[in-house]
Amino acid sequence: MYGKHWRSVVIGTALLLAAGCASKEEWDIWRSNTSHFQSKEHYDFSMKNRSGAATVTRQDVAMAQSQSWFGKAVTVDQAQILER
Amino acid sequence: MARPMPRVSHMTNAKLGRAIVGLAAAATLTLALNPASAAEAPADRVLQPDKYTSDKGRALGQKYQGALRDLNAKIYHCMPWLEVKPEGIGFYKPKHLDGDIRYLSLNVNVDQQPAPEFTRLSVQDRVSSMFSRYVPHLLRSMATNDLVRDPNLEGFTVITSWLKAMPGSGQPAVMETSAAFIPKALVANFLRGQATVAQLAEGAHVMAWDGETKLGVMKPRAWADDFVLTYKVAGYTPDPKISCQ
Repeated sequence: MYGKHWRSVVIGTALLLAAGCASKEEWDIWRSNTSHFQSKEHYDFSMKNRSGAATVTRQDVAMAQSQSWFGKAVTVDQAQILER
Repeated sequence: MARPMPRVSHMTNAKLGRAIVGLAAAATLTLALNPASAAEAPADRVLQPDKYTSDKGRALGQKYQGALRDLNAKIYHCMPWLEVKPEGIGFYKPKHLDGDIRYLSLNVNVDQQPAPEFTRLSVQDRVSSMFSRYVPHLLRSMATNDLVRDPNLEGFTVITSWLKAMPGSGQPAVMETSAAFIPKALVANFLRGQATVAQLAEGAHVMAWDGETKLGVMKPRAWADDFVLTYKVAGYTPDPKISCQ
């Protein structure tokens, strides 16, 4: 009886941990992005829109574009296509 | 906004938010007091007249400075998922043409997440999709009556770049680029309803790049795509002073 009780506690705890914790994939994503927010602006945007429908200003869009989330992209230079 | 954020649980977000909500208030106040504003379209997106290498280019740049600024503002406010590159608007000479041939050029990055089905398409089909989605609509904003009638202007160039695939951890993002060069007479016919989107693509000279690597000339197919007319960034309302028609 006492043993059965402990088995239930162990199984229940294991299930809770499995359900409540991030998956390996989620942890990989977390590790590859070393900060919770990309920037102060990202944080401000999240705080401003914590509930209900988000309000997006042109500044928000411009900031997101200028934050270079993926770093410097590999792309053709305009001078390869056009001349001044 | 199309940029992906790291996936974390809502609960973690909420806890962290409560813990540092005081800091948020301070940060918001700092931002509010910052005089720099992103509400105006950045002026460096239009090539300044003194930077052209020929009198013909300079004269066009001077004459249509206002029109180019308006085009920049319209894209900035009405199509916020497009980012005009620095000096991405101007009367440039296409490199593949001989002589001082001037085309009104627009060079944009499309801020979009590459869906797996889009990534699985052939380059030819991705170029066709992006041509259909953006070239006809951007031409309508670029080709004003004055420009179409100007004898010094010979055509229009629309350059679009997009993320080829989601980069892996530590990998650089690679953009694909398509440049469509379209003679003015064909653009005029298209605007008058005398040429279809498919005919516009047939008559365009289209080149593509994978990152910095030139893929060469493409022959895209094109079809009617009203995405630009119907897509709205959730929660975003354009500046009412700007006409998005």
